[in-house]
Amino acid sequence: MCRSRSAYLFLFLFCLLATPVFAAKVKLDPSNWGLEAGKECIKCHTKTSAGIVSQWQDSAHGKQGVNCMDCHQAETSDVDAIEHEGYTIATLVSPKDCGRCHEVEEKQNSGSVHVNAVASITGQRRFMTEVMGNPAFTAASCDQCHGSVVKVKGDGSLDSSTWPNSGIGRINPDGSKGSCSSCHGRHSFSKAQARSPEACTHCHQGLDSPDKEVYEASAHGRAFASQREQMNLHADSWAAGKDYAASATCVTCHMGAAGKLPSNHDVGLRSAWKLNGPVSERHHLVIFEDDTKMNLAESAPKPARGDLLKKVDGSEAKVKVLVPADRRRQAMTQVCLECHAKNTVSGFMQQFDGLVEGFNSQFAKPAQAIMLGLYEQKLLSPKPFDEPVEQTYWSLWHDAGVRARHGAAMVSAEHAGWQGMHQVAQLFYASFLPQVQALGAPAEALIKQHVLDQPEHQGWLQQADRPAWVLGVAEGKSTDE
Amino acid sequence: MNKFIAPEFVSRRVVFALVVSGLFGMLFVFMLIEFDHQTSTEAFCTTCHSMELVAEPYRQSVHYNSPSGIRASCGDCHVSEGLIAATLDHIIGAKDLYKQLFGPDYDNPVVNALHAPDAAFAARQWFKDRDSATCRRCHTQEIISGRRADTLEIHSEGAKGKTCIDCHYNLVHRHVPGQQVFKREAWNRMIEEEYKLEPGTAEKILKGEAAPPALTQKEN
Repeated sequence: MCRSRSAYLFLFLFCLLATPVFAAKVKLDPSNWGLEAGKECIKCHTKTSAGIVSQWQDSAHGKQGVNCMDCHQAETSDVDAIEHEGYTIATLVSPKDCGRCHEVEEKQNSGSVHVNAVASITGQRRFMTEVMGNPAFTAASCDQCHGSVVKVKGDGSLDSSTWPNSGIGRINPDGSKGSCSSCHGRHSFSKAQARSPEACTHCHQGLDSPDKEVYEASAHGRAFASQREQMNLHADSWAAGKDYAASATCVTCHMGAAGKLPSNHDVGLRSAWKLNGPVSERHHLVIFEDDTKMNLAESAPKPARGDLLKKVDGSEAKVKVLVPADRRRQAMTQVCLECHAKNTVSGFMQQFDGLVEGFNSQFAKPAQAIMLGLYEQKLLSPKPFDEPVEQTYWSLWHDAGVRARHGAAMVSAEHAGWQGMHQVAQLFYASFLPQVQALGAPAEALIKQHVLDQPEHQGWLQQADRPAWVLGVAEGKSTDE
Repeated sequence: MNKFIAPEFVSRRVVFALVVSGLFGMLFVFMLIEFDHQTSTEAFCTTCHSMELVAEPYRQSVHYNSPSGIRASCGDCHVSEGLIAATLDHIIGAKDLYKQLFGPDYDNPVVNALHAPDAAFAARQWFKDRDSATCRRCHTQEIISGRRADTLEIHSEGAKGKTCIDCHYNLVHRHVPGQQVFKREAWNRMIEEEYKLEPGTAEKILKGEAAPPALTQKEN
């Protein structure tokens, strides 16, 4: 079994290495596009939506003769088909439509974490709509990044509570998942736009994935801001180190071509850690026989080839390959090596892993164990956020904890430190523990079990009489010595 | 003396009959004109409650509230021009009255909405068959030039083989998709959702197997 798994791994890596270094070219013959009917559209649309037409005309699509109908054509039987000036079209263009030409990208993307962005927040979304009581909140917020479940009304129009929407995991009327225009803004579909950090950071910023803030403060972000013109963003081939070297963008590390590593629209492929959960864990990549993929925590039982496994959307599928977290880290490292020395890269990875592991063992795991204990002993009501300690716990791992871990991943000292671990510690010692303590003796027992008795916490919690200059009350006296 | 001498058979009685029938004829034509006029008004059409439901969206439309001050009333669009054509339309249209009295309960908003697509398709076909003649009462295609360059071209070269209704529909009444993409099942589900009915009720109502929910239209 072990031998066969390594054989598959080898095969997988071989496939990774054997493909070309830049994005797959469309291999279809040009006779497949430029539909006759589509030449009519701009007669009206230069008038009614001149901006769209002008973006399209300047785009690669426009120049290659790909016209409106190539993307917007529909069959009368399609649920979202509408009759428009004598033609049957659909307003919404799904990845399935794009995939008619961009087959490789569509396939890669359709197996990525991105397309499961709706399923991955089902619980949070329900909380937002049901508990906070207003579906309009989710339509204007969650769904704009994660994607809506697009609803076609019986009269063929798209329900405004679900459309317009370009969320990355949008569930489309044709059953496909995802939205290419989330990154490839319509109707210019500019390569440069998709390669720029802004393509990602319009969603990847703020509390739950503070990538924008972290990236901008990092060396990569600073170099990009000052040397954007040297990034060769419009080039056909865009391999790190070869076609550009001024800096790295989100795409560079998470998707881009680098050395022998080909570009890949499966954006989570190279990420070994899950950084935005209560406790971080490394995760394997499961590739199913239907070519969809899923992250699987390292602690979960390792599936063998052919095993049935539940997917994110609840359906079951057979496992084809398991790519271990280490391999994913290797792929990411390969990108780094285009510009950094081997030792620098491995040193950085150790610093990154060190912070995440420390966050886990010192704060995340004890806090989680205490919370579970509080619920188990019914010291808290099952309802979330109705007790102060629940809000503190949320801020601890979600706001500050996520920030700290992302700060370490992309080297922003500010976010790893003051806005990250500093706030984690502050919340843990000054809010979380006192709030737990206030719940009485059984709660205090939980603190003893999960914190005081753990070696990580014996540093200062157990030494109440040890003064420290750091607070500022005894500055200059070096009382710490 | 009068050189015109009436033939023998034109007796006084005949002259009298001619004058009287002529007068009646004129009266009849005047009545027809008046009849066509009166039965083309919004006030007449909405004497049936079912038409009140259709008139609601019309009163929100630009054909009702035009900034130019012109208002198209029901008959302006739905009754042909000319005494004979208008009268014929009204005679044929009498089937609506028959259906209103003996057909499904169109006064019920649910029944009305379920039948709306069929009515829309029939009306669109009616416009198409007449080359959108009633649109052309007010709109002269040849001089539609708009404010932008392409408008003229769209309505001349671009409109070859087309008639107004081919492009300009869903302007006044409830939005109904084009017939070739219309999906009855999806429509039924939408109406059920709108009126909070169990799925499947719409089909039963259409077949007459279930009574529509007791709903009254909004009082004006």
